[in-house]
Amino acid sequence: MRTIAEINDKIRQRRAVVWTVEETKAQAAEIGVKAAAKQVDVIVTGTFEPMESTGAMINLGHTDPPMKIRSCWIDDVPAYAGLGAVDLYLGATMTPEPSIEGGEVIETRESAPLRGGGHVIEDLIAGKAVHLRARGQVTDCYPRATLDTTINQDTINQFYLFNPRNLYQNFIVGVNGGDRVLYTYLGPLHPRLSNAVYSNTGAISPLFNDPDLDLLGIGSRIFLGGGVGYISWEGTQHFPLQKRLPNRTPIGPAATLALIGDAKQMQSRWVRGCYFKNYGPSIMLGVGIPFPVLHEEVINRALVKDEEIVAPVVDFSIPRRVRPTFGLVSYAQLKSGKIKLEGKTIRTAPLASIPLSRQVAAELKSWILNGQFTLSESVAPIPRDRAFLPQDSWGGAGLT
Amino acid sequence: MKKRVTLTFPQRTIQMPVTYRLAKDFNVASNIIRAQVAPNQVGKLVVELQGDIDEIDAAVEWMRSQHIQVSLASREIVIDEETCVDCGLCTGVCPTTALTLEPETFKLQFERSRCVVCEQCISTCPVQAIATTF
Ligand code: SF4
Ligand code: SF4
Repeated sequence: MRTIAEINDKIRQRRAVVWTVEETKAQAAEIGVKAAAKQVDVIVTGTFEPMESTGAMINLGHTDPPMKIRSCWIDDVPAYAGLGAVDLYLGATMTPEPSIEGGEVIETRESAPLRGGGHVIEDLIAGKAVHLRARGQVTDCYPRATLDTTINQDTINQFYLFNPRNLYQNFIVGVNGGDRVLYTYLGPLHPRLSNAVYSNTGAISPLFNDPDLDLLGIGSRIFLGGGVGYISWEGTQHFPLQKRLPNRTPIGPAATLALIGDAKQMQSRWVRGCYFKNYGPSIMLGVGIPFPVLHEEVINRALVKDEEIVAPVVDFSIPRRVRPTFGLVSYAQLKSGKIKLEGKTIRTAPLASIPLSRQVAAELKSWILNGQFTLSESVAPIPRDRAFLPQDSWGGAGLT
Repeated sequence: MKKRVTLTFPQRTIQMPVTYRLAKDFNVASNIIRAQVAPNQVGKLVVELQGDIDEIDAAVEWMRSQHIQVSLASREIVIDEETCVDCGLCTGVCPTTALTLEPETFKLQFERSRCVVCEQCISTCPVQAIATTF
């Protein structure tokens, strides 16, 4: 029907027709799949949700005398320094060091919100100055032992997000069947099944609209945090073999992607440090994926509705790797604000922002319409056959 | 007129049927917004008084004479729209459904009249967009 090269020519001439995935669903319902596929060149999707496996690579530049940094804190948040002399990696969920008591489990009780790695990354992207202190290993080529300074994005060399796991294709719904409040990465779950939290935007979520990842791969250009980014690899815990419905959408957490992008181009509006009470800091990220309409099937896949995709309801009151589930619910039910479990009506709340997800798609659409963002051919597919291996400290017993 | 006040009861006045007296002696209706009364402790009541302005003033005067502390301002929830990302997480913990998502736009809606200032939402918000006035 059309190739990526042809689409890019149209984008450069500002003649490309771009629809958001919601516009696509509405248009195709009206004019039919064939006519829609004829008209539209690119479908854009977006999401804005917590993506905790996110972090920033920073190259500080050399001091005089030079230094081989071995430990480093940015605004008190430890950054990993076991790389080249002044290469640092700051993870979004890292907690500030002063709160660590004896290296033991921190924050099991009520505490004030912590400013963690995600907040520091947001501040650097916003152009703010942050405090950096470091200790070095003194060697003949790196005589300096300590450093105490402030940095901002203009005083460091490279500053890019390199996120090992972003963009989950589907996720779980958290509930709590126990008798005390649980503080989780889905926020507080109140006891006796009082609330349910889902964290995927459902039918507008990028990877539900290309369930087998046919239209993207390593090297695909994307919207990442308000700047241009790329899909760099399969994500950690990538599990494409998850059970799937006949429409190919997975019934639980499945594919994931690793993403990379220049943080100096990003906007703090789309990269937000966040904190989950008594769980810890994290980061919310806006990610947008364009899909080239290469053939009709691309439209068919993008027609998936909230009624046709499901997620498992998982009871967090049992702190085991394999937690009991209450079965599957559809995203249409989740988005209605209530689900029924064991005869009880439970309020549902999302965690991904649907309004901001829509804005990511709208923003990416405007980039393409302006001719400033073209699509890229991927250089290798994302693997489709990764198993999900558990870590068994007692040996032997596999996933049950 | 309506006036929102916070009443703090010393232990010995907790048993007193204050709202009944306000209605009977001063013709002031009191709508309880929030109550915190534990046995053998100081009690706290956030009430909305409704009635004639002179009568409300007289009622407040009387409560003070009964050693009930009356503070005229009461805390309110404020949501910073610039900070809020409309994630909706707070809507799941709000016991009165003062916080909801608009069904079409999924943007956060706050209906102040339903809010009992229980403050559940404050610590739930992952971007600290919710606070109370002082
Ligand atoms: S303070 Fe309580 S009642 Fe008021 S909005 Fe927050 S959660 Fe709802
Ligand atoms: S939890 Fe916070 S950010 Fe999310 S909708 Fe409520 S106020 Fe907005």
